[in-house]
Amino acid sequence: MTDNSSTEEMIRLLREISGKLDRILIQGSVDKESDDGILDVLDVMTLLTLPDHLRTTATALFELGSATADELAERTNKERAVESNYLNQLVRMGHVAKNRNGRKVYFSIGEGLGK
Amino acid sequence: MAVTIAIHSYKGGSGKTSFAINLASAYASVGKSVCLLDVDLKAPSSFNYLLPEGKHWVNDIFEGRYGVMDVVKDVSKEMGTKGAFYVGYSNPDILAVREVSSKDRKWQSKALKLLMAAKKDLSNAGIDVVILDTGAGVDFTSVNAIAVADHVISVGRPGASRQRLMEQVIGGVYMPLDKDCYIIENMCHSDNPTDISGKKFDLPVLASISCMCDVAVRGDNEVLVLTEPGHMFSKKIYDIMESLDKITS
Ligand SMILES: Nc1ncnc2c1ncn2[C@@H]1O[C@H](COP(=O)(O)OP(=O)(O)OP(=O)(O)O)[C@@H](O)[C@H]1O
Ligand SMILES: [Mg+2]
Repeated sequence: MTDNSSTEEMIRLLREISGKLDRILIQGSVDKESDDGILDVLDVMTLLTLPDHLRTTATALFELGSATADELAERTNKERAVESNYLNQLVRMGHVAKNRNGRKVYFSIGEGLGK
Repeated sequence: MAVTIAIHSYKGGSGKTSFAINLASAYASVGKSVCLLDVDLKAPSSFNYLLPEGKHWVNDIFEGRYGVMDVVKDVSKEMGTKGAFYVGYSNPDILAVREVSSKDRKWQSKALKLLMAAKKDLSNAGIDVVILDTGAGVDFTSVNAIAVADHVISVGRPGASRQRLMEQVIGGVYMPLDKDCYIIENMCHSDNPTDISGKKFDLPVLASISCMCDVAVRGDNEVLVLTEPGHMFSKKIYDIMESLDKITS
């Protein structure tokens, strides 16, 4: 009984910490924005002007925060290759940042250079 | 997973805030864990001063200063609800309102990310229903909230002219963001509820609520759903809650 509730409490605390880390990551990314080449920030009004397929991809990326093409394809129920193509289109449009971490490539919504 | 519902309308004064307070209270009264957030940063409602305030503001979530769980306050004791009832306010101070109004797209993009993260935090904290009381019309504060929600309830007053305007928002905001949307007709003439569901979109109308003086007059001092559950207005809210439960389960 007590064991169970302390495990639950631990899980709750870990989730709280993970939420805090997420926030720090979202905040902290400002400092290193200048060299990732993001020119056009993706806000929700710009999101609305995207074609349907790219909007679905970008919205899922907003929800996931940072994700590989695999993770995104799982969320949107599309083929990995298709999703990867859409993500790279968004990168070329300057809305999405692409970062390599070891063998994995992570995509995230960019911070934008200008307004 | 928490269910997130955004309460929106194309024009102001349609009854969003009254509906949001009462719907949240209805959920909490039947034992659901609820979080009601005022995300109308440009015209904070302060929930008509009916619910106790917390230490921090919803603005702090958007600025990344505090997490959502540090901002919301559980008012279930004060309100006498069975379930947890968390509330978060937007800062009504004019300096805060002016500051929000001058935010650029970059800030709004980050605000959307932080709101998505807040939704995750609330879900992790065991909240069942998140209700976002949004500002009227189409701007960053309302559309960011709509983008985060799973369901959008559009509260509208009846009338053909309003229907045309509502169709614009449905086709230009709700649909592209892939939201489940429902309509609530509010302040209808009791004898003559007119159907404002967009013919083009054929969205379900969850309820038609008539215009009731009690809502306008007593609504400033009490949450009708809690003080008089048998009231016609309260019954409507409970009916809507049941319909939503069926849709979201
Ligand atoms: N069914 C109703 N019958 C009569 N009066 C109502 C009804 N619903 C809401 N009202 C009243 O209408 C007024 C506006 O309602 P409310 O503030 O909830 O609207 P709102 O959509 O949140 O406005 P805003 O767009 O300014 O945020 C309030 O005085 C409220 O008491
Ligand atoms: Mg309001």
